[in-house]
Amino acid sequence: MTSNLLQGINVLEISEVWAGPFGCSLMGDLGADVIKVESYPRKSETRNAGDPRLDPRVAEGDGPIYERINTHHHGNRNKRNIALDIRTSEGREVLTRLIRWGDILVESFSAGTIDRLGYGWDTIKEINEKITMLSLAGWGQEGPYLGRIMFGVGFDAMAGHSLIRGYQDGTPEEIIPILHSDATVPLTWIVAVLGSLMERDRTGKGSYIDLAQIEDLAWQFPGIISDWKMNNRVAKPVANSDPSIVPHGCYQSAGEDSWINIVAENDSQWQNLAAMMDHSEWAEIGHSWSSIVGRIDSRDEIDSHINQFTKQYDAFDLADKLQAQGIIAAPVLSPPDPLMSPQLHDRNWFQIVDHPYIPERLLGGFLWKIEPDAPSWDKRAALVGENNDEILMQLGFSSDDIAQMRSKEIIGDAYDEATR
Amino acid sequence: MTQPLDGLKVIEIGGTVSVSAAGKKFADFGADVIKIEPPQISEVRKIAPFPDDIFHIDKGAVHLAFDTSKRSIVVDHLTNSGKEIIQRLGSKANLIIMDIPAKEALDLINIFKDGDSLLTNIVTITPHGMTGPYKDRIENDLTLFGWSTRSHRHSITGREPLRYGPYAGVVQIGSTAAAVGMAAIWGSRSEGMSRLVDVAGVEALMGNVDSGFFLWAVNGALQPRSAGQSTGLYPMGAYKCKDGYMLFSAGRDPVYSRLCNAIGRPDLSTDKRFTDPVEKPKHFEAFKEILEEWLSTRTKYEAFDELQEKGVMCCPVLDASELENDRQSVHRKSYITRNQDGIGDITIAGPPFRMNGLHSDAWQSKPAPSFSQHTNEILEEYGYSKQETIALFRAGVTT
Repeated sequence: MTSNLLQGINVLEISEVWAGPFGCSLMGDLGADVIKVESYPRKSETRNAGDPRLDPRVAEGDGPIYERINTHHHGNRNKRNIALDIRTSEGREVLTRLIRWGDILVESFSAGTIDRLGYGWDTIKEINEKITMLSLAGWGQEGPYLGRIMFGVGFDAMAGHSLIRGYQDGTPEEIIPILHSDATVPLTWIVAVLGSLMERDRTGKGSYIDLAQIEDLAWQFPGIISDWKMNNRVAKPVANSDPSIVPHGCYQSAGEDSWINIVAENDSQWQNLAAMMDHSEWAEIGHSWSSIVGRIDSRDEIDSHINQFTKQYDAFDLADKLQAQGIIAAPVLSPPDPLMSPQLHDRNWFQIVDHPYIPERLLGGFLWKIEPDAPSWDKRAALVGENNDEILMQLGFSSDDIAQMRSKEIIGDAYDEATR
Repeated sequence: MTQPLDGLKVIEIGGTVSVSAAGKKFADFGADVIKIEPPQISEVRKIAPFPDDIFHIDKGAVHLAFDTSKRSIVVDHLTNSGKEIIQRLGSKANLIIMDIPAKEALDLINIFKDGDSLLTNIVTITPHGMTGPYKDRIENDLTLFGWSTRSHRHSITGREPLRYGPYAGVVQIGSTAAAVGMAAIWGSRSEGMSRLVDVAGVEALMGNVDSGFFLWAVNGALQPRSAGQSTGLYPMGAYKCKDGYMLFSAGRDPVYSRLCNAIGRPDLSTDKRFTDPVEKPKHFEAFKEILEEWLSTRTKYEAFDELQEKGVMCCPVLDASELENDRQSVHRKSYITRNQDGIGDITIAGPPFRMNGLHSDAWQSKPAPSFSQHTNEILEEYGYSKQETIALFRAGVTT
């Protein structure tokens, strides 16, 4: 039994990749009933892989490749799944009934696509005036870039973030692709859709929400636009440093590709760090490094000393010792490292998920703990079309209708591996 | 003029970047958000940039952006008198979000308990959560990011892992608190039960979709660190054009073929050197030369228009000076400039989403409050006499 906070809310997902689907999983974690309408016969983007021998995203196993791709699993828990060809008249009838069922419809096509499919907001609200429709196109639903296409890494570049997050001696050619909007947009749209349901309580009508992913990134980085407007300065990368704090950086620890982050925000923390490094004199009055101004003037030299010190120790062990002295310090975790965290085990954060095609492994847990009704991973990422029959019967279709839809490939429960 | 969250009362405690970002999500959409600030000055007010690089408690850019539409009261939550104020304010709130050390949070939670029942929804934000051996550890934006496994992916092999832009991690943690806090409000409206929500910064970052652990956990295989231009699946990454850089995500078909057609080289879409997954990495430099030759005669916006017209996933890489004047930003008013008392014009990002039209009143951002601007007003509103207010000030509980 999962959390009940959103019990009674029906969420209809017609969305791919993460910004839409992961938010729907979070809604499912919180108790909403989520139905994912999965593209059929074309595979969802997150079910596409390259050659499985070369593509590290594919888990070992014998099942279909499209059921073993990591990028699909973690954006699709706690949902039911219907694989439906919505370009057919029968598929459209199913979709229409689903829209009547839904409180919230989430779509993330490029702007204008859902209108061309015949399901623009005017049509949707005709079918169900109480539904809230959320559109997640990168640049939004209005404006000169209508219909343009890109992934989150592009919105990051156009929001000005890409040019402030690299190495200080780096070039734009070294921009490392990230998917920050995929991680943060769901957190915003949950507030948006629940706000619209509160509005519905007052008006009796649903709302249309236009969330431009680039605008949701823009508010998160106020320093970029402000430094330009306030000081006529184009923000540059500061990497792991902070202009007002020394030390504030990432240092090598013992072992290959092993790192530790250390920060001393004030004189007291610096005093403790200096003592840990057997150089208490660096924090004594009279030594230039005893004051923040002196430390800022000697950033490189101090960083060099810390690197010599940290190289001798395991990152986890050293972070334990420094934290015990009130110093901000933490290992930089590589992907498998969370399994070594006593904290995460103590909080039972990891989840074991039983899936027919991927090995039993410890997967990541939830974004929050809730009392009294904690979230749980009730439904692993559904197989394609796994809940076709159940959903169609719930919508009032007969067994004969369902059989016909299956024979006409309106619905399906398998993809042709060769197609994209 | 109604807003979707009209009528909601939200209290934020702690003055950090995280809790300020969380409260903003409610305040700009109509909730009455009371920002309870510590007498020692909120962290969010200390963060640069400042106008003309002169620090001021009310002029920091992050404060001006994240504290919009809120009211500010200063309360020392470590004193019994301060706790009494918080109890009185919180008793009428739909949600309390706090980002303070776990021990202090536990004290405040207890004043909102009646036996086993919680009297209002509470979301705590802490680095590692309210329980466990690390519950009292101190972290910051950098170290939380390091914990999350995202730094490790955000690096070039052999060099130190990087965080994202400053405060990206703690803002995301605040957004996480806002999302689950909103759900808690909904839950208590529909079934009358309040929730206690424990947001651990490490878990909020590590549990999200772009975490390296999440990707590794399914199959136990490490993803290659894809720094910069991908040499295996290209073009992915930034390529130089006439006046800057274009960022591509066009390594896979059908987008790759569209690109080849758009630059007048349809032959490349069937050329085995560039399509065979084993051959392709060997010919990266040859492809790069062809693409950059085409880009060298076009500005980034010319290339953006021309390539997007043909369905190629790409966009220009913009710096701070270019954000406000981008055509889409201008059309949608993605950034707004307005007067802030004592400063003059400031520019902040517009709404993170639009409800019922581009120019609806759902989002109404009002200027951020000065430090303690509403202390007297709020204390009076919650039943304190003028003499009591003076006594609280005299004792240092308020400022």
